[in-house]
Amino acid sequence: MAEKAVVVVDTNVLLNLATPVVDGRSKAPSGSDPLKALLTTYEVHVPTSLLGELTDTTGSDDLLSAAADLVLQAADQLATHEIDAQTDEPLDYGLDRGESECIWLANELAADLFITDEFNTTNYLFVNLALDDRNILFTTPHILCTLATYEILPREYVSAALTYYVETKNWDVQYVAQLRQDQLQD
Amino acid sequence: MAEEKTRVDFNAPKSLVERADSVVEILDISRTRLLIDALEDELEDLANDEEFRRRLSDAYYGGRVDYDTVEAILGREEAMRMKLLRASIDRTPAVPQLEDDLPSDDTYYDGEISEWADSDSSQSDDESHAR
Repeated sequence: MAEKAVVVVDTNVLLNLATPVVDGRSKAPSGSDPLKALLTTYEVHVPTSLLGELTDTTGSDDLLSAAADLVLQAADQLATHEIDAQTDEPLDYGLDRGESECIWLANELAADLFITDEFNTTNYLFVNLALDDRNILFTTPHILCTLATYEILPREYVSAALTYYVETKNWDVQYVAQLRQDQLQD
Repeated sequence: MAEEKTRVDFNAPKSLVERADSVVEILDISRTRLLIDALEDELEDLANDEEFRRRLSDAYYGGRVDYDTVEAILGREEAMRMKLLRASIDRTPAVPQLEDDLPSDDTYYDGEISEWADSDSSQSDDESHAR
């Protein structure tokens, strides 16, 4: 059994993965749990501050809050790292502090993967620039396809989840379509 | 610095050319100037048009137009974003490792999972919300 790969994720990735699990509406895919799938099959590391961001997100009666609740219910599965003085020099690319801390952590741990959903905007460029090794950058839809490839999540579930995200998250439709075509077919 | 020019010949409806020539006379500019301005305006409008951008990125991700074309139309930052994103599709992430099955919700999550429903009544706030 190989060691689990070290993964750093940002807050939005965890929230996005938790969203279909807690979304009770009929348009949400059901029957699988992408959050649990990611956290079980990879060694997921986050800055401690991310838990604070999640806690700030809870407390209202909306879907995002429910998603944050779920991530916090699985907080034991996250390896947390206190990041304070190290980031005195902020990664000055217009990225917010949370995102910068995640990138810093990914570089510090020499992570195998960095997952972000900041791929719709030019922030994606800055995340690319800030990561020492550009080949570790992935997105939630890409990792979901990978989880389907290795039969950790059913293909049908991932396919339905991609549709759900495109409809609810405003994700780059062409990118997701290309991923679907390359990785989910056959 | 003057850019290299290329000659373009094309046929257009006669009445359109006449209208253009009237405008050219009033503005006291050349017919060429008017055409160049009109083309530039049109290309700029398209670059900001949602539907056009969708078609362009379809064509780019599908390999039907190249990077330079995207950069020329959408600008460098957006073109770079698309280029990096497209390149990332071909990368293979580290393999996920699973020993048995995924754990059950009971053993995995601390407390019950509370499902969110888009209810119109927000009155049920004293129902227990699992935290």
